[in-house]
Amino acid sequence: MRRLIGMLALGAGILVGLGIFAWAAYEVVDALGVVTFAAGIGPALGQALGSILFLQLLFVMLLATLLTLAERKWSAAMQDRIGPNRARIAGLSRWSFGGVPHIIADALKMIAKEDVVPESARASKLLFQLAPALNFAPIFCLFAIVPMGPPVTFGHLVGHRLVSISSALQISNPDIGLLYVFGVASIAVYGVSLAGWASGNKLALLGGVRASSQMIAYEVALGLGLVGMMMAAGSLRLDQMTQYQSQGLFGTSWLPAWGIFLQPVGFLLFFAAAFAESKRTPFDLPEGESEIIGYFVEYSGMKFGLFMIAEFVEIVTLSGVITAIFFGGWHLSPFLDSWIHDSVVAPLVRARFSDPTLIAPSIELTMAVIFTVIFMVKLLLLCWLQLLIRWTFPRFRYDQVQRLGWRILLPIGLLNVFLTGLLELLDGSTRLLGVVGLCELAFGLGLVFWTGPSEAKSEGHGLPTEAVLGGHP
Amino acid sequence: MSNPKRPVPAYEAPGSRPETARERAYFPELARGLAISAGHFLRNLLWSRDPSPDVLHRRGPNAVSTVQYPEEVAPYPPGYRGMHRLVPREDGRPRCVACYMCATICPAQCIYIEAGEYPEDPIEKYPVRFEIDELRCIVCGFCVEACPKDAIRMDTGTHCKPSYDRPSIVYGIDRLLKGPAVSHASDVWFKREGSDPPPEADPHPIPERGR
Repeated sequence: MRRLIGMLALGAGILVGLGIFAWAAYEVVDALGVVTFAAGIGPALGQALGSILFLQLLFVMLLATLLTLAERKWSAAMQDRIGPNRARIAGLSRWSFGGVPHIIADALKMIAKEDVVPESARASKLLFQLAPALNFAPIFCLFAIVPMGPPVTFGHLVGHRLVSISSALQISNPDIGLLYVFGVASIAVYGVSLAGWASGNKLALLGGVRASSQMIAYEVALGLGLVGMMMAAGSLRLDQMTQYQSQGLFGTSWLPAWGIFLQPVGFLLFFAAAFAESKRTPFDLPEGESEIIGYFVEYSGMKFGLFMIAEFVEIVTLSGVITAIFFGGWHLSPFLDSWIHDSVVAPLVRARFSDPTLIAPSIELTMAVIFTVIFMVKLLLLCWLQLLIRWTFPRFRYDQVQRLGWRILLPIGLLNVFLTGLLELLDGSTRLLGVVGLCELAFGLGLVFWTGPSEAKSEGHGLPTEAVLGGHP
Repeated sequence: MSNPKRPVPAYEAPGSRPETARERAYFPELARGLAISAGHFLRNLLWSRDPSPDVLHRRGPNAVSTVQYPEEVAPYPPGYRGMHRLVPREDGRPRCVACYMCATICPAQCIYIEAGEYPEDPIEKYPVRFEIDELRCIVCGFCVEACPKDAIRMDTGTHCKPSYDRPSIVYGIDRLLKGPAVSHASDVWFKREGSDPPPEADPHPIPERGR
């Protein structure tokens, strides 16, 4: 019971912390925007710099670092273990801080390790050194288009002019939006293949080749999974997709028109393909650290650490993209959004400020902070889901991956595109899409929960754990 | 996938093929697997762990079965042959009479005894040195069986502690002589003239369960 209360308190603390982070991000982004605006080059540059600082360097990198620990602690919880808890901050021998000192220990270990360039890699030493960066950089860049917070208009006195500058927590918002995701995401495999080739090691080379062939098998499904949402939203820009998902489904205000309800098949396709892209466990045959040896055998020290952290950055990035496209971005549902605005934020702000000119901007900023926290929570839940998948499923064999990519995901993706196009032609609104999507969801859930008549006879072949262990699982 | 003409590969275990259409659809079973993992995760995350070292009898929804070794020590089963001890008499001297039976039967030859004599007693001997090299000991228990005086037992319920050097694992009388004193009515020192009478019953029977 104490642990339950502690966990709830921790969750509340995390929410508050995220809120403070989002508020600080908005203030800094806005301040930098004003600085560059006053310098005469427009607010966009300063805003982008602020967003890079807060979203990329702080949010993504910190979250990726924490995920290296979460992977070990959470997998331990899933497998009925405790996980790392032995590292101590000097002097505090009683508390393990949930294993957080292990992050410091890991980082120190990575940095202090000898940086070996093997004899076999001497011929292509430049490529060998370059490969980790080539792997990491595209994945890191991917987060640039994820819209984390809605635009907020701040009024500022620049010189003697009152200007209003609109700041959003999004680094860049190009019109090509999702095409940027596809383009940049597929560049990352160059780093992997180069690492395999430049190592001068046959096993590493095979790992790199496996990575590129898996990549080709999944790239198509990755794109096709999103085509449905692109057609529905009529845009490639992620902020417009988020906007599109803020409406209610069937005219109701409690059921949001999230991508997962409109395009469940597209979500499954994109999620599976994105998972394959991140090269983690059901699809980890490029590395296969336990036995088939992957592309980074020859790497040591921080170069290996870069490959490692790239995986976790990719988890965060994919969660961000999926949140924006399939889980409504920062929106909950029309009803909840307006309830937070009307019943929580507006009365509180009105009670706090008496100056009427301050009320409207304060409400807007507070709502934006709350929306950003909602986005971050969804993102965290998706990160957790990815770790859950990684620690539940066994690895696919190579031929199974190819069969899944080409013979299952590709046809399903094409069918989904045709179906979505047809529904869009018949009915331009979300109504028909919603009906079909919810039917697909219900069918899928039915399959999950309906275990069929064969359940009774298959009861017997499990291990008799309960009986033997006296009720202990 | 269930093509009867396709030969079954050698690596495929019998019964590993999906049987029903539902299992062949693959993702429902994946979702159920995820539910199991998530259930364990939430149970272990939200409820605290019962730190009882008796893993099989832990209570509560938390299913973590780890024993945090140096802090929590799992109990040894009854009858476990652990570290030796030299059994003391009521007055604190060892019961051992330095008969060399244990040193003789020891297959690992890990027991070294030097006998001494009480100046006032022409019959009884006592060990001046009694050393067991715990590194050589194979914990067979023959010494306990061989001892005619019930002077050596393996009922401490612990095991030999690790050490950084070999000499500190050679245990002498100072470290072996411990635990509850034992006396039997048949002990010779109760039968001499002027000795105390033996206790009514054996106050320290061999314990059921080693600790």
